[in-house]
Amino acid sequence: MNSTLLRRVAARAPLRRLYTTPSNHNLEILDHALTKVNELGWTRASVIAACQDLGYSSMAHGVSESGGLGLVRHFMDRALDETTIEVDDQLHEFDSTNDKLRFICITRLRQTLPYANRWHEAAALLAQPQNVPTAIDQMGKLASRIWYLAGDQSVRLDWYAKRSALAAAYVATEMYMCEDKSPDHAHTWRFLNRRIEEMGKADKLSQGVAAYGTQFGRNLYNILASRGFVPHQ
Amino acid sequence: MNSRIAVSSARRASQRLIQRTTPDETTTHFGFKTVPEAQKESLVRGVFSNVASNYDIMNDAMSMGIHRLWKDHLIRKMSPSPDAKLLDVAGGTGDIAQRFLEFQDQGEPGQRVDAWARAEKRFAASKWMREGRIGFTVGNAENLEFIDDASFDVYTIAFGIRNCTHPDRVVREAFRVLKPGGRFMCLEFSRVENPVLASLYDFHSFHVIPRLGELIANDRGSYEYLVESIRKFPPQKEFAQMIRDAGFTTIGKGYENLTFGTVAIHTGYKF
Repeated sequence: MNSTLLRRVAARAPLRRLYTTPSNHNLEILDHALTKVNELGWTRASVIAACQDLGYSSMAHGVSESGGLGLVRHFMDRALDETTIEVDDQLHEFDSTNDKLRFICITRLRQTLPYANRWHEAAALLAQPQNVPTAIDQMGKLASRIWYLAGDQSVRLDWYAKRSALAAAYVATEMYMCEDKSPDHAHTWRFLNRRIEEMGKADKLSQGVAAYGTQFGRNLYNILASRGFVPHQ
Repeated sequence: MNSRIAVSSARRASQRLIQRTTPDETTTHFGFKTVPEAQKESLVRGVFSNVASNYDIMNDAMSMGIHRLWKDHLIRKMSPSPDAKLLDVAGGTGDIAQRFLEFQDQGEPGQRVDAWARAEKRFAASKWMREGRIGFTVGNAENLEFIDDASFDVYTIAFGIRNCTHPDRVVREAFRVLKPGGRFMCLEFSRVENPVLASLYDFHSFHVIPRLGELIANDRGSYEYLVESIRKFPPQKEFAQMIRDAGFTTIGKGYENLTFGTVAIHTGYKF
């Protein structure tokens, strides 16, 4: 089902890198910089340390645009790619969409776990006004990919609602996870279950509101028609 | 008055050169004129020695002070690390060198800068000069044979490469002198892509700037050359390809437009 997506991810050539020259040294530096994050944070210092480790001039740190933000973006892209590859052969074991969503979210959250102590810094970086476009872009990609992997390819009016609900649930769980000290993060997974169930309820609720709206409109039309304000068909 | 006479005689001289051009000689552009390749360097030198005394004032007048912001942005984008060593080519005014050293001084004291021109006077009394963190040399950017391979971390050329006879050779030399992982940055006039703004910009270039040159520097000819040479320089995408052809790695499209593309910062990494 996801073979095209998977091929693209596995080839490490997402569309946005189409114009980049074939050399992958920039990715090499960014990947290595991730190993410095727990020590030096989501900062330019991490990227500089990585450049020096790899024998490059420290000025190669420019491959991570706007210092730490480029590193955060790289991590999120990479984590999403890893998640896509990891869940691909296990997704068929789940029946309901909710179970699939839960499984994909957990796989993605585990990618953040190694940086749990430092993740709040990345979140703070993404919350800065000038970085909000990046944050929205990343959350959009994340939510879209998760829905897609869970088998939802519908293009309906609730497209944005679904994605924002999932992104909200994901971000809340991620924040909870970074503070969670329970063994094997059991509390986090329970927290995630509740968020996903709520999403289902909200979805039903939105359908209810839509049905109510339609019924209300129909009633109004009939009342007006009976008074002669609108012509009978 | 003297300088005006000098310019008009220089113009006559360049016209003579054009007449002397034979079809089998290699030619290049000098503004909208075509001149033999061998002559371009001395013609450019002529322009810049004509404008040298009023250079800073004219830059402010032509760009309405924005050239300072472009240079600030270049350094912020570069974010020099404390150990970075800069080669600033066409650094006659010292604008880039000064901003670079100031940025590094925000952290711990940093490395030295080599700038390529006559800004020595400006820095003669500075602490950077005393500390030996800045040095000056005169040379040709197309042939930096007196600089070792892989010896600099950053290479900048701001508003200079347009005047070189072979920009591609300049970029190749930059590739050679940079260390692996080193960064090439070029700040240069480029193309305004929005057609409405482009017509405004053309009006400014062909009517306002030569007039300003006449009023402030008493030198219309040199500023006509300046705006013409901007039109002759390859547009953003072509120049980015030239940088890739020299061996550099570019990230994304490889350049950033400033002020609607009036100028662009091109970046390449040596990997």
